[in-house]
Amino acid sequence: MTINLYNAYVLAVEDDRQIRNYISYLLNAEGFKHIVASTGEGALSILVSEPIDLMLLDLGLPDIDGMEIIRKVREWSEMPIIVISARDQDKEKAAALDLGADDYLTKPFSATELFARIRVVLRYLYKQHSGNKVQSILQVGGLQIDLDKRLLYVDGSETHVTPMEYNLLTLFFKNIGKVLTTKQILKEIWGVGYGNDTQALRALMASLRRKIEKNPAKPRYILTEIGVGYRLVDE
Amino acid sequence: MMKRITQSRMESMITEKQDMNIKSVVYRAGIMLAFITAASVTGCFFQAAGLETNSAIVYLLAVFLTARFTDGYIFGILASLLAACLFTFLFVDPLFTFSANTHRSMSTFIMMTIAALVTSTLTTHAKQNAIKARGKEAGTKILYTLTNHLTDAEDIHDIAGIATSAISSMLNSHVGCLWFDPNGKPEHHFIQQISPQKQIRREIPDVDALLQRMEGLNTDYDTGPEFCDWPIYGRETLLGIIRVPKEDAKAMNESQIRMLHAMIESTALAMDRFRVTQQRIKFNEEITQERFRVNLLRSISHDLRTPLAGIIGSSEILLNMTAKDDLRHPLVLGIHKDANWLHSLVENILSLTRLQDGRLVLNKQEEAAEEVVGAAIRHISRHYPEYEIAVYVPDELLLVPMDARLIRQVLINLLDNAVKHTILQDEISVSVTKDAEKNCAVFSVRDRGEGIEASELPNIFQMFYTSRVKHSDAQPGIGLGLPICDAVVKAHGGNITAHNRTDGPGAEFVFTLPLEVNDHKSL
Repeated sequence: MTINLYNAYVLAVEDDRQIRNYISYLLNAEGFKHIVASTGEGALSILVSEPIDLMLLDLGLPDIDGMEIIRKVREWSEMPIIVISARDQDKEKAAALDLGADDYLTKPFSATELFARIRVVLRYLYKQHSGNKVQSILQVGGLQIDLDKRLLYVDGSETHVTPMEYNLLTLFFKNIGKVLTTKQILKEIWGVGYGNDTQALRALMASLRRKIEKNPAKPRYILTEIGVGYRLVDE
Repeated sequence: MMKRITQSRMESMITEKQDMNIKSVVYRAGIMLAFITAASVTGCFFQAAGLETNSAIVYLLAVFLTARFTDGYIFGILASLLAACLFTFLFVDPLFTFSANTHRSMSTFIMMTIAALVTSTLTTHAKQNAIKARGKEAGTKILYTLTNHLTDAEDIHDIAGIATSAISSMLNSHVGCLWFDPNGKPEHHFIQQISPQKQIRREIPDVDALLQRMEGLNTDYDTGPEFCDWPIYGRETLLGIIRVPKEDAKAMNESQIRMLHAMIESTALAMDRFRVTQQRIKFNEEITQERFRVNLLRSISHDLRTPLAGIIGSSEILLNMTAKDDLRHPLVLGIHKDANWLHSLVENILSLTRLQDGRLVLNKQEEAAEEVVGAAIRHISRHYPEYEIAVYVPDELLLVPMDARLIRQVLINLLDNAVKHTILQDEISVSVTKDAEKNCAVFSVRDRGEGIEASELPNIFQMFYTSRVKHSDAQPGIGLGLPICDAVVKAHGGNITAHNRTDGPGAEFVFTLPLEVNDHKSL
């Protein structure tokens, strides 16, 4: 069965008319079926009445706090939520992601960025829905992971990584294109008790990057989202 | 004796000013003679009545009264001696002689003299103490009244007026007062008391000369052509001058000088207090205004941000809709670029207002230097994909305590600056090293542009300074980028410098961040 990402029904919640029009135009141009809301109340009433697949959510709404909407939606739905925020709202971004939002966009964003985000979350969503078939070999650019043999190949040659590095890399491979917050990674790799040991994560990331990246300060695979977390890109 | 006179003058505050010396001596001698004569006459009556023993008591009474009603010890002592002599002469056998040939008359004379002397000195002493106390009380009262009035003063003009009037009445003179403005410059006028009810303003012909004299003063006061000038020193600066007419100043006695000093002191305190209050009000006003300005700037910037995002997005759509050879393409491209530029300006203003407000709380954490550098380069590469930026980071992971978002902004601003001043294909590089000796991380951004004019180096981190020469197609700058860098780095306890490269053309910006987290005050 082939999945058409563009069958998704998108809800865009944005209080500024200009940006709402812009998003609406872009979604239209790409052929997404969509509906817009300018307030949190409006968004919630649409969410209960329409079969929404994906939500674009501006955090700074006039009536309800964006966080509150995420919390409410997550009570009954796993639908992808992409948060839209201003540049100085990094803290809110990370908080929104930890609450269960899937990704974020910073204003002003380009069409390319918007669709890149939408594609990633939708692909991830459909994979979850359709995927019984577990791939044993995962590939991103020149990186290849053999899940059965627990081996990593960089540009075709086998590269030794420690178990922790391997776990970290696999976590990213399972979330290609998605931003993972520091908190989420710590929880996945170290377990619940290590909530704040970001230094350990920085060190692990540095050593992993030195194995997979040509220049760890100009990463090609795992990018740093300052103040938020990391993202494995497949471009 | 002078002291007596002046103290009585002080008691009444306003006294006739004349030479009382001779007059009072004659007056007091008269009192003395009158009492002694009266005592002698009374003594004669007693003797006639056969009660001559009472005469001694009568003489002692006369001595006591003389001491009481004359000033100083002299007339008391004179009266004592006179009384002893007269008593011995008139009432002690042998009568009408001073021959002390009998034990009786001798002892009577000595006893009488001692008794009279003790009476006179004790009386005079008691009287002097009373006068002294009254004098002190009067001085305290004057100062108290002055201080009280000064407290009610509403401005420095009031203070000067009150001081002038009080000192004038104390010295019975036409005292003047000159005050300085908050910048320490004397006013061109001073006020002078010309009668108990009237003060006038008088011009000072050469204020600067006066000021110079006062500043060079190393004695108590300065003597000018018309006035003797006493400085009014505040806690920090000269606040004003009390001007006492020359001849009155010369005529002042010790206690008047002391009083004058005390009054000047009170005036200085009042002026100082007024100054401080004034400064605080001004300071508060400035803070309020500054806060208002910053808030206004911030809210305007904030409101600009959203529509700009819309313009950027919409122009991007239009840009994709127009072919490169379309005549409309460069117009749309212009809109897009300008909107982008405006947007980064708005973001910079927002950053700066938050920084300058002092309300910015650094969210310092140990961050990997390479990650922050990488994020900054990624941002620049998105805007200038055609530029290649070289990066050098240490092999070993370097963790630096910092607010990563702000330091990324610093790097972005520096790289943006480098890109704007470097033509394509020329080198732009970022490096991070660890300075183990100074225990800090050193970040450096180098370009191959035209460098920085030596004259501009000192101003380059100042706000709105944008005179660095640019190549033709660069976006205009408003000069906020580098001040932000400066503010952010300083907030971290680091240091930022700019200089020209020594290995060829180009500029280099270097900033340091301390590796110790806990020992910086601004944390």
